Amino acid sequence: MVFFQTTPAGEASSDRAHGKSAIQWVVKLLLRLMAASFNYRPTLRKNLKSDQGWINFTVGICTRSRSVEAAIQFKQGRLSVLHTIPTDAEIVLVFKSDAAVRKFLTATPTEQVHMILQNDFYTVGNASYLNLFVYCLSLLLNKKQIRMMQKERRQDRKKLARAAPEAKPHLSEELQARRETRLTGARVDPGVLFLEDPYLSAYGLENFPRVAAFLDAHFETRAEVCPELPKLVTDWHKIHGYETDAEGRPWHPVLRKAHCYKHTMENRHPIIHANDLIAGTTTTKDIGVVVYPEGHGTMIWGELLTVPHRSLNPYDVAAETRQLLHHEVFPYWANRNFKEWVRRKYDNPLGQQIDERWAVYFNWKSVTISHTIPDFPKILRLGAKGIIAEIEAELTADVDDPDKTATRRAMILCLEGLMAYAANLARQAAAEALETEDPVRREELEHLARVCEQVVARPARTLDEAVNAVWITWVGLHMESTNAGLSLGRLDQWLQPYFEADMACLDGLEDREAYVKHAIELIGCFMMRCTDHLPLTPDFANYYFGGSSSDQAITLGGVTPEGEDAVNDMTYIFLKVTEMLSIRDPNVNARCHLGKNSDTYLKRLCEVNLTTAATPSMHNDETIWASLAEFDYATEDLRNWSATGCVEPTLSGKHMGHTNFQMISLVAALEMALNDGRHPLMDWKIGPDTGRVEDSTFQTFDQFFDAFEKQMGFLIKQSIAYNEMLARAHQEIRPTPMLSTLIDDCIRDGQDVTRGGARYNSSGAACIGLADVTDSLLVVKKLVFEEGKVSFADLKQAIDTNFENDPALHAMITRKIPFFGSGRTEAVAMANRVTRFVHDSYGRHPHYRGGRYTAGFWSMSNHVAYGTLSGALPSGRLKGKPFTPGLTPQPAASNNLLDNLRDVAALDPGNMNNNIAFNVKVVPGAGEPRDKTVNTMFSYVKTYFQLGGMQMQMNVVTSAMLRDAMAHPENYRNLLVRISGYNAYFVTLNRDMQLELIERAEYGL
Amino acid sequence: MTAPPPHGERNASEEAAPLILDVKGNSLDDGPGIRSVVFFKGCPLTCVWCHNPESKKAAAELAYDAGACTGCETCLTACEKGALDRNLPGYVDRQACDRCFACAAVCPSGALERVGLERSVDEITASILKDKPFFDTSGGGVTFSGGEPTLFPSFLGRLAESIKRAGVHTLLETCGFFDGERFAALVLPHLDTIYFDLKLFDRAAHRRFCGLPNDVLIDNFLTLADLAHRGAIELLPRIPLVPEITATEANIAAWAEFLARHHWGEVKLLAYNPLWPEKVAKIGEDNSLAGQDGMQTWMPAEEVARLEDVFHRAGIATL
Repeated sequence: MVFFQTTPAGEASSDRAHGKSAIQWVVKLLLRLMAASFNYRPTLRKNLKSDQGWINFTVGICTRSRSVEAAIQFKQGRLSVLHTIPTDAEIVLVFKSDAAVRKFLTATPTEQVHMILQNDFYTVGNASYLNLFVYCLSLLLNKKQIRMMQKERRQDRKKLARAAPEAKPHLSEELQARRETRLTGARVDPGVLFLEDPYLSAYGLENFPRVAAFLDAHFETRAEVCPELPKLVTDWHKIHGYETDAEGRPWHPVLRKAHCYKHTMENRHPIIHANDLIAGTTTTKDIGVVVYPEGHGTMIWGELLTVPHRSLNPYDVAAETRQLLHHEVFPYWANRNFKEWVRRKYDNPLGQQIDERWAVYFNWKSVTISHTIPDFPKILRLGAKGIIAEIEAELTADVDDPDKTATRRAMILCLEGLMAYAANLARQAAAEALETEDPVRREELEHLARVCEQVVARPARTLDEAVNAVWITWVGLHMESTNAGLSLGRLDQWLQPYFEADMACLDGLEDREAYVKHAIELIGCFMMRCTDHLPLTPDFANYYFGGSSSDQAITLGGVTPEGEDAVNDMTYIFLKVTEMLSIRDPNVNARCHLGKNSDTYLKRLCEVNLTTAATPSMHNDETIWASLAEFDYATEDLRNWSATGCVEPTLSGKHMGHTNFQMISLVAALEMALNDGRHPLMDWKIGPDTGRVEDSTFQTFDQFFDAFEKQMGFLIKQSIAYNEMLARAHQEIRPTPMLSTLIDDCIRDGQDVTRGGARYNSSGAACIGLADVTDSLLVVKKLVFEEGKVSFADLKQAIDTNFENDPALHAMITRKIPFFGSGRTEAVAMANRVTRFVHDSYGRHPHYRGGRYTAGFWSMSNHVAYGTLSGALPSGRLKGKPFTPGLTPQPAASNNLLDNLRDVAALDPGNMNNNIAFNVKVVPGAGEPRDKTVNTMFSYVKTYFQLGGMQMQMNVVTSAMLRDAMAHPENYRNLLVRISGYNAYFVTLNRDMQLELIERAEYGL
Repeated sequence: MTAPPPHGERNASEEAAPLILDVKGNSLDDGPGIRSVVFFKGCPLTCVWCHNPESKKAAAELAYDAGACTGCETCLTACEKGALDRNLPGYVDRQACDRCFACAAVCPSGALERVGLERSVDEITASILKDKPFFDTSGGGVTFSGGEPTLFPSFLGRLAESIKRAGVHTLLETCGFFDGERFAALVLPHLDTIYFDLKLFDRAAHRRFCGLPNDVLIDNFLTLADLAHRGAIELLPRIPLVPEITATEANIAAWAEFLARHHWGEVKLLAYNPLWPEKVAKIGEDNSLAGQDGMQTWMPAEEVARLEDVFHRAGIATL
């Protein structure tokens, strides 16, 4: 591996090239101290040994100019310091300058995270070993690190307390008061068969003490890293082999995966959570953090000692878990994960190098594929046994192809594992029933035992069975691949038949009412159960993707595959539960078809949005379909779409759409176009030569747009190349035969979803900064090329100096340019020009599973992260400030919300085939009656949809409330906010994200 | 109706084109549903508490927003009268300024701004109709406010007609000081609803605080009330509550008695808001009331409720 291929000649910093600087000696001294500590202290030294032997690796440290160069070698339990970095060093830290090295040596762990994001240093080589090296450092320094983290947190709290010493209870209480008033709804939806008041206004959380207790625990329980899955998986591989089986024959990846999966499912603890109506858990902890060692598991290695003490998103790690992960799990997987597989096979390709500099794009396949909707109706209808019968029929019909046979066998093994888990749950429930004193709980447990005997092996017959079957399957899917973005789909549609069947057995009004209450409680338990696991996030991810959970999207409403109104009793039951809980995950998405769905339904969506402050996200069926019209999707499948992860459309049960294969910054391409292919923060000329602004290269606006297109095209090409390499890694390392049993046509074709077995295939990008780029291009077009108010070189100079010397130019830009969202057609035209180009660029690239690449314009939280990593823009956005969330217009565009709504609705859906996220912050007027507030929200959404708007999501909070929550988080534990596409608890966000939410434009209701 | 007000003495052919302050979209407080509000410039009254002080004069004015100014001083080169001076508290020497607006034209930040633009009926209609889908969904429409739109009955009538013809609900907010006959002929046919502001019942007090006695507006109100009783128009009287001026027990009781006497069953009280003193400073108006302590705070809800009670006792509902 070559470490310096990325450092262009002449771009080195002012450090003395090839002369060694003073800091060199400090670095070496510290490395020697480290080596001596490990070499002479047996308690430390034993950490260098895994259960497979000594862990050998070398870490290099240098500056780009090589003014610093040293390495530390870990070999057979001894550390030694080297003067030069050997070419086969596992990992090298390359610092921008001597100053950056100096800063690093005294930085807190949080500051070090910021340093890597800010490209003060970058790494070349195996990231697992970087994390191991950090862990070794932390073995020496953790007491000091923890003290530093605590001090940092204290200082932060003090600063906030100084800024806002008094809490404002009237603000926090207003949120609570929203729950007190409830509208009632008329029974107008044809699918609502039993609910007299579909709004279920008689019910509040106070009527469901069991669910309320779960909710309380959700906020009060600290998450803990769960050792179960990594231990089972690693132990199995140590016995049965990874590359080759115990007899030395190469494994067929899909069979290896399936055998291991079956073993895992048979041997994991069958846990019935106390007092729950749902059997099974994803982890052994109340709230568990799942470690997928073949994915990004080793990313947490460096933090095993400090993760309980970090400010954001802290988890507990038991000492045994830490020992297990460090000695037995991570060493085994240090090379056997997606990223490292690609790095070795393709020799650290350029696409990967760019990804690992953080400022331009992030490819999610380095973590997982997930992001799809399994065919739950199938397992409810047939049971696992029924699906096995279907697979067996295919096996006997088609015996010639060993790949297909292996894949189908693997699918059967997975379903057997799933059934074994359900059977264990049945036994566990029966055993607990015997031990329970409480007769009511005993009956519930006996009932659960019967439920688990039936499902998932056999078809579901009742709502209780159906919900438990969905959950057991969900647990099963999460034991196969990472808990990020796998989504639940149209649960209201799929559960309604069971609700109807149960209700049909009841005659009396009272019995039916009691059953409705039971259904609410059951769904409440189900949604709370979905919160029992969290994704594993290294601290840097708290700044890169803050506050995100697993993003398990549920989709409600819309139309049936036949095109009829799909709103039903279960739709409203889910909405009631969504309203009562106000939890961030599952991420509730609501479809709306204006021609079919009633105003009553849409108003209810708005009321729930008002109460919860942030959910559901609302989608316009007809525009989503228009966005997918270019594909040959069958009409009934299009009608059956669900949101995945954040907002992205997936055709339920038939589509492997990895709809978040990457987050990419459009702004990065703009910055590269302004700098002749050089990215300023990375200080790296990676893009093609498109000319220098200072040399008057651009005579027309179109020439500049062309430069932007070339840079963006380059980034798309590189990121897709990396995506396809990671996709191969998934096929080798983690096929998903369990998921494949629930996606058409994997069984029929004997092909795993990772290899293209799904009927429909695609991968979708999230393109970030559309409004910022559109506005920047408008400024260049108008001020430079049309009005000649400023020369391009002068504008560039102003950008490079963050407008510090040009306040008048900055004011002119923000006050006088018709930005996107101002209601001016030229701004919409510019946005459409950008989206069309981006859409076409993705669509042009061949896709490895067949199908196409798609483009969406939403941002998770990366509009904040990428904002901090970007300089000032022609749009007037200053250096380091967040971009707008999703494609939301910037606040300066207009003070009339309707201008925003009209402009976003006017965008061409044909360019946005991976959906959008349009955030609107609205504030109910003090003392306004609830129906007036709801009606206004309804009018916005309905009209926006009539005008062709695709998606929108409202945050119903004031900036004053958010400021109060920032300083007094104890009063706002459940303050839910929409970031871009997903929900988060405001108080768990990093400060930059909190400020971004506060600074969003706010419109009165 | 009675004698025309002194300021409105023009016939249609003489009526000057009004200046428009602003067309504000997405208004939720100026009538039912989502609305666009057209603010006319110019008013026959001179209420000391006027919440839109920039709307009092019919002529265009220069506004200066110190907060938005970047200090680039481009304006100094544009001003031929030497009317701009950093040392002046409001930056603009209002005596020297001949309102050529050359400074506003070159100001990059919009800190210097011309207040009041001539806009045609067609242009205003077109800009408003962009939001028609929102009016339709919400049961909203267009509100004419100001200033006093009825100062320009011919223009207002044509604008209201053009908007109503497009199927949009029209609402007028008025101080009631207009020539009743011309209003009835030119404007009234194109209105769905009128919000009629009543201020001071006492004739002398009205003259003192609003510049003119209140006979004309009381006559106009009674004429419209009569039409409303017969279902020809929707009418809502509103009373702005200004501390120690209109929001007195005596004034409120007098209006309650008046409305009850004329069989009027509902009224809306507008709680005082302290947002206007800042606007006074921007246009350089000399107004001592704006600086008074009592004018800087929101009216407490209890105070509004207490005054509403006066109406309730007279059998009149408050909205």
